[in-house]
Amino acid sequence: MAIVEFEIILAAIISMSAPLVLAVVGETISERVGIVNLSLEGSLLITAMIGFAVASITGSVLLGFIAAALLGGIIALLICFANITLYINMIAVGFTLTILLGKLSSYLGQPFVRIPGPYVPQIEVPWLKEIPIIGKAVIDQNVVVWLSIASIIIAWWFLYKTKSGLVLNAVGENPYSADARGINVKFIKYFYGTLGGAIVGMAGASFSLHSIYGWSNGHTLNYGWICLAIVIFGGWNPVRGAIGAYAFGGLQIMALKLQGVLFGLSQVLPLIPFPLMIMSLILIQYSQDKQFIPNRVRSILFGNQPEHLGDTFKRG
Amino acid sequence: MAGMNRFYSKDSLENLMAFGLALFCTSILLVLLGVSPWSTFIAILEGSVLGLDSLSRVFVITSIMSLSAFALIVTFSCNMWNIGVEGQMMLGAIGAVFVARSFIGDTLLSIPFMIIAAMCFGGIFGLICGLLKTKGSVHEIFAGLGLDFVAAGLIVYLVIGPWKKEGIASTSGTDIIPEMSWFPHLFDFKFPIIPILLFGSMYLILRFIYAKTSLGLKLKSVGSNTNAFSRLGLSPDMYILFGFLIAGAVVGLAGAIQVGSIYHKLVPYISGGYGFLGILIALVSGRKLSIAIVVSAFFACLVVGGSTLQIKLGLHASLPGIIQASIVLFWLMIKASSVHIKLINAVSKSYGHS
Repeated sequence: MAIVEFEIILAAIISMSAPLVLAVVGETISERVGIVNLSLEGSLLITAMIGFAVASITGSVLLGFIAAALLGGIIALLICFANITLYINMIAVGFTLTILLGKLSSYLGQPFVRIPGPYVPQIEVPWLKEIPIIGKAVIDQNVVVWLSIASIIIAWWFLYKTKSGLVLNAVGENPYSADARGINVKFIKYFYGTLGGAIVGMAGASFSLHSIYGWSNGHTLNYGWICLAIVIFGGWNPVRGAIGAYAFGGLQIMALKLQGVLFGLSQVLPLIPFPLMIMSLILIQYSQDKQFIPNRVRSILFGNQPEHLGDTFKRG
Repeated sequence: MAGMNRFYSKDSLENLMAFGLALFCTSILLVLLGVSPWSTFIAILEGSVLGLDSLSRVFVITSIMSLSAFALIVTFSCNMWNIGVEGQMMLGAIGAVFVARSFIGDTLLSIPFMIIAAMCFGGIFGLICGLLKTKGSVHEIFAGLGLDFVAAGLIVYLVIGPWKKEGIASTSGTDIIPEMSWFPHLFDFKFPIIPILLFGSMYLILRFIYAKTSLGLKLKSVGSNTNAFSRLGLSPDMYILFGFLIAGAVVGLAGAIQVGSIYHKLVPYISGGYGFLGILIALVSGRKLSIAIVVSAFFACLVVGGSTLQIKLGLHASLPGIIQASIVLFWLMIKASSVHIKLINAVSKSYGHS
């Protein structure tokens, strides 16, 4: 009985966290190449709305995801253009876009507020779903959940085990050295910044077509900020970031269960990642300054902030 | 061009052109959204300045936005982003409510003490952000963002915990504070004297600090060249902390206005996003205090007049926010691409000026 209950809770956590995991993976890729997509809060809102709107109009969930990914990519491309080509501070553009996109999602999403619409269907996998724990928690889910898990593995493998991942990291760590070695820094930033944005777009559609069905004003409210906090808490590593997202999903499930007992928990809960983010950043810096933990262990425990994160790259 | 220079400085002409172009691009966006820019701006104007009640609200919101923008301008001068401005405003509101709920709350002393407490609470919260930056090496954007949500959590805790309403715990806010703690209006037409005095005096104080004191000079120079600053034997960290302390205290006052003039109680997210709007205002005003007031007044008209849009034109309440943010976005793009300067040059050439 206890195992069955554990399986159900684990399945709920993995399912509920899938959109946040996708957003964390997308933003991690973006930040590793040095681009801070501060429009995340607004991007998630508008891509959730577009994903649901397109899926509702066309009746195709796949088209909803494609439209959201395209829009997420275009938003990130705009930030890259503003920063890499026009040399505008990416924080200023990202922050302005957050407000603009959030409001636009409310304005454009009016016809779709609280209407029934399509959602990502569950897929029956006859034999594999009988495997203990994994069967219920991972296999007996839908494509969004599988995609979110696959994204963690692919992103980790790509970032740390491939030559292209090495180039991406090199550009984020020191674009000037990378430039001196003949790497096309601007192209790499454009490409991975946009790719990260497209994954964030898919995360937005996952909210409205998978975890919180439908569309309403402020549908993904605060998830963008939470994602930014979790990326830092995860030390800019997709695996640790995903663990952070699942932990947050676990807290959400816990809050739902305790709502009747502890009043106000659901209001306080979304705020928990932020003090954790600050503590992580202090620990990263403190351990780096004091050198009381060997570099290898420190990097595994806390990760490393890309050296030139958020900086505007200007060739001398 | 020489003729123009008699009346306008080059900078202000360029800024005016950039703002005009940003407004033009925003109008195109409105057309794309199926909205008539002309009717929208007329409705906003009517709904904001053509009534005593609405005009009073414009003054109050201008004060709040100006103070937020001032706080940003102070930290921008040290080359720091103060995303924590929302949290500092919330702490200011907590400070004001703390005084209003105390034994002073029902006396004449309440309002001055609310103001002092708001400045102290906001200033300390700003200082924490500065300490995280200087002592903890935490990037000020992430520190500020985190502290915003810590402040929001603190308000929720107070509202449903120690300061909960008589008998029930509700997230709708605390009990209403005593009337002696409400910021009074001047005369019958609801002139909000205290908010205007607060932001007016802050404007003068900050102008004085930046124009006449060595503190202002040091705040500016720590932002422009930290290395040179250190070589002069001065501590950049100390002045960055000063910057955050001043910014927190200034925007803490906005929190006091939210309590004393608008809500008369503590509510979750009492900052209402005005801190974040202050960031946009500081960006578009070119980090100049006087321009920040003008932009704040314009943005306040959009906020107050926005409700008329719903009633008169049946438009959604999100439209003022779209206008505000798109003006800033287009302004940033126009300034960076120098389109406005090219346009000025083209116009002056076509009129035969050099």
